[in-house]
Amino acid sequence: MLRFVGSILIITATTGGGILYGMELQHYLEQLLYIRHIVYMLRGELTYSAAPLGELCGRVAGRVKEPYRSWLRAVEQQVENRESDAFLKIWMRTIDRYLKELHLKTMHSIQLKELGSCLGQMDGEMQSQSLKLYLDRLELEIEKVREGMGSKKRIGNCLGVMSGVFLVVLLL
Amino acid sequence: MERKQQQIFGILAKSVRQLLEQEGLDMGQLQEIRMRIGKPLLLIYQNEERFLPFTKGKHQRHIVTREEIRETLDYVSHYSLYAYERDIRQGFLTVEGGHRIGVMGKVIMEQNTIKNLQYISSVNVRVSHEIRGCADHILPYITKEGEICHTLIISPPRCGKTTLLRDLIRQISDGNMEIPGHSVGVVDERSELGGCYHGVAQNDLGIRTDILDGCPKAEGMLLLIRSMAPQVIAVDEIGAKEDIHALEYAMQCGCRMIATVHGKDMKEAAEKPVLGELIQKRRFQRYIVLGNRQRPGEIRAVYDERGSVLCCGL
Repeated sequence: MLRFVGSILIITATTGGGILYGMELQHYLEQLLYIRHIVYMLRGELTYSAAPLGELCGRVAGRVKEPYRSWLRAVEQQVENRESDAFLKIWMRTIDRYLKELHLKTMHSIQLKELGSCLGQMDGEMQSQSLKLYLDRLELEIEKVREGMGSKKRIGNCLGVMSGVFLVVLLL
Repeated sequence: MERKQQQIFGILAKSVRQLLEQEGLDMGQLQEIRMRIGKPLLLIYQNEERFLPFTKGKHQRHIVTREEIRETLDYVSHYSLYAYERDIRQGFLTVEGGHRIGVMGKVIMEQNTIKNLQYISSVNVRVSHEIRGCADHILPYITKEGEICHTLIISPPRCGKTTLLRDLIRQISDGNMEIPGHSVGVVDERSELGGCYHGVAQNDLGIRTDILDGCPKAEGMLLLIRSMAPQVIAVDEIGAKEDIHALEYAMQCGCRMIATVHGKDMKEAAEKPVLGELIQKRRFQRYIVLGNRQRPGEIRAVYDERGSVLCCGL
């Protein structure tokens, strides 16, 4: 009886691990989609009001959830206080500090940070174009993540169950 | 004064800020900070040109670098030069407190108009001064039986016309022993009068004043008449033909008008196209001519609509 219960527990745990993996993939995709949503809002505000970056971030901050809200509020505050000699430094510093918990892949983190190097310069149209360029790149990344996600989820689920069964066979 | 120091120092490159801090300047006496790439940092302080550091000789003057100009522009624009595109096209932008930042560089043209500036090589920080009471002497001359006269303030740059206009607006709006408070509409195209920040005036323009911030003067005056029905309208630095037409229209709508214009004297103002016609038609009832021979804001003369001197040397 004990063996039976133990086997069930092992299989449940490994299956749970597989499902969790799938959920994490889904969560990561949702994070990228949310970043896209934020950049869309920034672009919309920029086109509508052409306000300075601090103000833009402040306006969008009120409409997004944590930790994005804290991130945008920090950008707003640091821009208002002129805390650095370049906007890029503020942008990168705040991403490192407030979006750390998202555990973005290096590639996605670099792309988001690079966006800061194009902001604040030139004219309003160029700003809008820079944001659009980033959105296009992000769209591609989202597609890549989305494409692989279905099969990865299935593999995760199967591996979860199979590894459980394998462990049970080994232990028995 | 501390607030003014924060406003001014906050927009300067760190190295320049440190130099100014070391000098312990009296912000009330600081008029301009001029920065030109490769040239010495220059101040207009106590009505005199001064190089920084004050105590050092000719060979130890601080030379402004390209990086300092870039850093200053980043601070001035809150790292968002694109947001000030329209202002930069006019050669200046206004920061919190109403301080004016003049910029010069290489012009980008598009269809025969200035699209933007690049390679900005000169920055001139003009410190705005709010001097409460500076219009005390002038107010009796621009009122007639408790009513405000249509008034034109004529002055060359750096003679205090904006400061005088700001105090006139405040006094007319609040009212005093001589005149009751009037509702005043201000079209503050360059945010210099109110020094608006996030739509809220940083300078005191009185309790009955409505400010249209950042709006072109011609459109702003018409908008004010339609929406706020002001008794008095105040505008700074009229010049364009549309401004003057809108100003004349506002005069015919029953609003009293107070405006400023660049010029040395009455004659020079009367020779200006379009504005000259208005002067010939005797639309303005009072002219105040300013100078800075002895001090900025010196009132050289006040004239009536016929050009007769009402007073001089105030």
